[in-house]
Amino acid sequence: MELFNENSKLASVIHKDHSLLPVINRLGVKLGFGDKTIRNICEEREIDLNFFVEIINVFHYEAYFPEKRLLDFSVSMVIEYLVKTHRYYIDYLIPENDRLIELFLSANPEQSTENDLVRKFYTKFKEEFVIHIDFEESVMFPYVLELNQVIENPLSRPNFRQKYPDFSISGFEKEHSAMDDKMDDLKNIIIKYLPPNYDQNRGNAFLSNLFMFEKDLKNHSRIEDHILLPKVKQLEMILQSHE
Amino acid sequence: MNSNLNKSIVLISPLDVVLTGLFEILKGSVAGEIIQLRRGDEIIDYPELTGNFLVIAVPEELEKSTTLIRHILPVTGSVQFMALNLDLNSALSTPSISINDSAALICYKVNEILNSFSTNPGKETDTELTRREIEVLQLLTKGYSNKEIADQLFVSTHTVISHRKNISEKTGIKSASGLTMYAILKNIIDVTDINPDELI
Repeated sequence: MELFNENSKLASVIHKDHSLLPVINRLGVKLGFGDKTIRNICEEREIDLNFFVEIINVFHYEAYFPEKRLLDFSVSMVIEYLVKTHRYYIDYLIPENDRLIELFLSANPEQSTENDLVRKFYTKFKEEFVIHIDFEESVMFPYVLELNQVIENPLSRPNFRQKYPDFSISGFEKEHSAMDDKMDDLKNIIIKYLPPNYDQNRGNAFLSNLFMFEKDLKNHSRIEDHILLPKVKQLEMILQSHE
Repeated sequence: MNSNLNKSIVLISPLDVVLTGLFEILKGSVAGEIIQLRRGDEIIDYPELTGNFLVIAVPEELEKSTTLIRHILPVTGSVQFMALNLDLNSALSTPSISINDSAALICYKVNEILNSFSTNPGKETDTELTRREIEVLQLLTKGYSNKEIADQLFVSTHTVISHRKNISEKTGIKSASGLTMYAILKNIIDVTDINPDELI
C-alpha cells in the first residue's frame, strides 16, 4: 500500500482513496483544489503539514500507525481534530444513518416485529454513542486542555489542583470497544440474520453508510486511544514530577 | 431451515384404493418419503422413522398409531397427526382431510402442516448453536448474570464464559443486546418473554 507525502497532488490522493473526503474536510480543506500538492494546500490554508500527511496516511492504510511521530503533535491540535470528527458524526453521519435506516425499514412495514427490533437496537446504539461524545467534549477534553495549560503555566497549578484533586485520565477512559462491538453486531444482524424480504437496495445503502461510519470510528478510536491518552499520561507524569 | 425433504408422510388406511389415490395426489407436491400402511400398528416396523413426520390415517388406525408413536417409537423430531375422513356425514375436529376434498385442497392442507414443522418456534431453528449454548443464550436474554446462569445449569462460571465466547464466535454477535436480537430472529426465545426496552 502506497503512503502519501507532502508532494502528492491532493486530487490524485482522493482518486486513490475517496474515503478520505470527509477527513480532508475536517482538516480544513474543501474541494476545488486543482492540481495543488498537499504542501501548497497546507501552506495556503495554514494547516500543519505533518499533521495533515500523518492523519490521511493513518486513515488510508490500516497498518500504518507511527506512534512516535504522532506523539509529537500538540494536544490542542489532536483535540481540535477529534472535535471536528465528532461534529461530522453528529451533524452528518448519524442523521444520514437515521434517514437510511427509516427508508430501509419503512419499505417493509409488514415485518413489524423485526423492524421494531432493528430500530430499537439502532436507537440504543445511537444514544450511547451521543452520550459518549458528550462526555468527551464536556469532561475529558476540557480536562486535557487545562492539564496542558498547567504544564506551560506553573502559576495556574493551585487552581488546577483544586479543580481536579486526583487528576488522572484513567478515571475518564471509556471503553471504545463496546461501541465498536454494537456497530459490528448491527451489521451482522442485517447481513446474516434478518429475513431477506426487504428492499435490498435500501438495505445496501444503509449498510454502506454503516461500513463508512465504522471505518471512520475505528480511526477516531485509534487516535484517541493511542495518541491522546498516552500524551495525557505523559503530561500527568510531568506534573507529578513537579509536585 | 429444514427443507420438506426430511419430512415423511405415513398414510394409513385398510383400503388400497384410498392409499393409492392419496399417494398419487400427494407424490407430486411433497418432497419427502410417503409410506403406505394398512394398519396403524404396522408403524412398529419402521423404527428408522426419524426426523419430522406427518401421520394421515382413518380415525380408528390413527388412535393405534398415536399410542405406538407416543410410547414405543424413539421419535427424534416432531410428529403431527391428520385424520382421514371417509364418512361424508361426520365432521372431525382434528386437522383432517375428507374423501370428497379436491386434490388441490388435500395438497394444500398437507403442505400447510409440513411447513409448520420448520416455523414452530423454539423447536426447529437453523441456529448453529449447540443445545447447551442455546440454554445459556436463553438465560442470557432474560438478563441473568454469568453467575446466575452457572447456578441454573449446575456448571462453573468459567464454563458459562466459555459458552458465551463460543456463541459470539459462531454468530458474529458480541453484545448482550445483539445476542437478544439474534435469539428472537432465530426463534430461540419469544419476543413476548423478554422486555425489549430493557434488553435491546
